[in-house]
Amino acid sequence: MTTVALALVKEVADAARAPRMLYLHWPFGHALGEPGNVAQQRTILHDMLSMARAASRPGLVIELPYRWRRETYPPIVDWTADSVAAVSVPPD
Amino acid sequence: MNEHNSPTRTPINPLSERILRWISGSGRGQAFGRLLSRLIALPQLRRLTASEIPWTPLVRPISEATVAIVTTSGVHLRGDKPFHLHSDSSFRVIPRDTKAADLTITHQAYDRTDALRDINLVFPLERLRELEAEGVIGRVADEHFGFGLSGSAKALLAPGRTVGRRLADAHVDLVLLVPA
Repeated sequence: MTTVALALVKEVADAARAPRMLYLHWPFGHALGEPGNVAQQRTILHDMLSMARAASRPGLVIELPYRWRRETYPPIVDWTADSVAAVSVPPD
Repeated sequence: MNEHNSPTRTPINPLSERILRWISGSGRGQAFGRLLSRLIALPQLRRLTASEIPWTPLVRPISEATVAIVTTSGVHLRGDKPFHLHSDSSFRVIPRDTKAADLTITHQAYDRTDALRDINLVFPLERLRELEAEGVIGRVADEHFGFGLSGSAKALLAPGRTVGRRLADAHVDLVLLVPA
């Protein structure tokens, strides 16, 4: 099975050595975002699905760029197109 | 949201509840929470992780994939035995058609206020069902899995393997792992 994990603590995300990780600098209990913000939650799911199909190598930890409560989330128009945020490979 | 469609919570010590609200609700609190998490998790992870990182590419398009959620946020069916609050490495099964009102959160290490208002923050099953209806994903798996708070990463290995086997037996293609 393919797995994609969310993480809220960067060092833990790195140490877990999981196949695919998306890190968010958001408070505990809010891995998908804010209550009732469906567009935000769908953005995170789009990021997870994108990473599932497009991650280029094991062990990637990608930091998503969303600031807590300071973003607007446009609707996902094309779910078959990968999220740029979730597939950009960080430098080693 | 009224009480008829909201999840419930297993009560915890009121002082812990206040500390957790501080951890979630302020910059300093969040930094403190992350520090605690690092202190507890990092030494264990460094001991337990293998040198080789597992790798299973997705074998079919997302639009044909069966997707499951595993959450470590203490979510379980209201009728199931609650997790032990201090440490519990067991898991609970959550069927695909479960409504938010049928869920309980049993966890004492994060502020559950917002997750009780919208369970999708820690267990995005409703969102996943919408994506299935829209044809974005192939299928929502029949079974999803909730873990509670565990102080021991080692104690999670056996139940983790059991969950992995059950997901594989159910022909799940993609598992989304969601933390507390």
